[in-house]
Amino acid sequence: MNLTESQRRQIEDLQARYIRLIDDDRIEEWPELFTDYCLYRITTRENFSKGLALGLMECQGQGMLADRVTGLRKINVYEPHRYSHQISGLVVESFDGETAVCRSNYLVIRTMADGDMSIFSAGVYLDKIALDPDGARFEERIVVADSRRIDTLLVIPL
Amino acid sequence: MTPLIWPSEGVTRAPYRVLADPEIYAEEQQKIFRGPTWHYLCLDAELPEPGTFRTTHIGETPVIATRDKDGSIHGLVNRCSHKGALVCVESSGKSNQLTCLYHAWSYDLQGNLCGVPFHRGVNGQGGMPETFKFSDHGLERLRVETYCGLVFGTFSKEVEALEPYLGPLMTAHLRRVFHKPVEVLGYYHQSLQNNWKLYMENSRDPYHATILHAFYATFKLNRLTMDGGITLEHDGWHSMNFSMGATLKEGGEYDSAGLRNVVEDVGLAGPELLKRTQEFEDGITVAIQSMFPTCVNQQIYNTLAIRQLTPQGPKRCELHWTVFGYKDDTPELRQMRLTQANLIGPAGYVSIDDGVIGEYVQRGIGGTGMDDSAVMEMGGSAVESCRGSRATEATLRGFWTGYRALMGL
Repeated sequence: MNLTESQRRQIEDLQARYIRLIDDDRIEEWPELFTDYCLYRITTRENFSKGLALGLMECQGQGMLADRVTGLRKINVYEPHRYSHQISGLVVESFDGETAVCRSNYLVIRTMADGDMSIFSAGVYLDKIALDPDGARFEERIVVADSRRIDTLLVIPL
Repeated sequence: MTPLIWPSEGVTRAPYRVLADPEIYAEEQQKIFRGPTWHYLCLDAELPEPGTFRTTHIGETPVIATRDKDGSIHGLVNRCSHKGALVCVESSGKSNQLTCLYHAWSYDLQGNLCGVPFHRGVNGQGGMPETFKFSDHGLERLRVETYCGLVFGTFSKEVEALEPYLGPLMTAHLRRVFHKPVEVLGYYHQSLQNNWKLYMENSRDPYHATILHAFYATFKLNRLTMDGGITLEHDGWHSMNFSMGATLKEGGEYDSAGLRNVVEDVGLAGPELLKRTQEFEDGITVAIQSMFPTCVNQQIYNTLAIRQLTPQGPKRCELHWTVFGYKDDTPELRQMRLTQANLIGPAGYVSIDDGVIGEYVQRGIGGTGMDDSAVMEMGGSAVESCRGSRATEATLRGFWTGYRALMGL
């Protein structure tokens, strides 16, 4: 089934809001971009290509997304930093009238409190996006990082 | 530079210079990593059939573990005997022959040189001299032993066999975890901007675990007021700290210590994260076992992992996590392990904090720190096992006991 122009815009708008909420440090609102019974997983190309199920973050449902927010706000110890996401190459691979299967590239530049900047992660978003008249939400977002290695730690979602 | 003299207090002190000095780091490569010690290479299960191999490092030396046609496992230095290039560049693979990309010198799975292109020359000219013997130019071989499915290697001809090296208490705990066939669930790799020994201290340190890791204390997963203890072996070179989650006593020292680590207004919005099962009959819920120098066997609830640390210079190292379950896990238990994996790794609610804490020490000890030392007097100066209390640094003193013995410091 083909997407309408407005459905296509809904998907692009969801992608844009995703990076705004993370990069503008409005992470408390980030779980709202997902459906109640969503899956959010960050994994690496190493695990993904071998069919290994282990994720770096594995959130089933909005509650576990909210717990990630609690973790980074209240529980975990890390050096303050922020991300700048760059997203490109969005392709809608299929659409069944309700869910669009999409794929896009991401690049995350990390800036530390002392000014140190680095390319922290690059990879692919594999999305299932639920489209309804109220808007688009992620049913599933699998983040596949190209590098198998994380520098120091990963606390802010990619 | 002036020779390092260890402080007269002994292993209740560790001079910060050993965490930054390039000369000491180079000496460690020789005396520890190529010395009388055993090093984790991989799991037996990761070499499932003849011809499979995995690459890793012992210290900075690149190493290959291969499964031979007869099922035996060999450890080889991953360096072509011709020009020194890596022979295997992938992290794992399968091949009946290991061939260097540079000039295609090839080796069998035992590391014997079996092919040199044009070794008889071309058109009767060039080629290797008559004196060149293939048998003199194999890959350097390590001693390899397997215990409970864990493959270890050593450069040392003198070190005792693996089982006595680990000792009866450490091997008993390995038998507890590796009591049936395992299945790898995946890998994490994490670069740490600190000296390798800071991580090895951290994994041995029961004192920090429930203070730094607020997740433990907040959700009452691991507190020093639970039953638990530390077990030391081989003069403390190896050790384990463990706790038993069913034995928590409420109130007491935590509530009066004013720690930041109990975050009061927090509950889990996704409580299925902590859905868990008591799969070991001894009641131990968290057990961190450290085998000298750089291997950790970890159980945090139902997450099981081997952590292997490889040094990459005086101020950098890489931590490799191999997360596993058992082949006969039910789908529910397997999912439980995958969900609980949110606790571990570079993004783990518990282990995130360890990612940066070593770096904070590394940055803290710069400059005048090179003349100063860490103080480890919690629990006195003893280097011995202790049941009941984990308010001790005996496990760290044990690590430094091993370090001093090998380094002659």
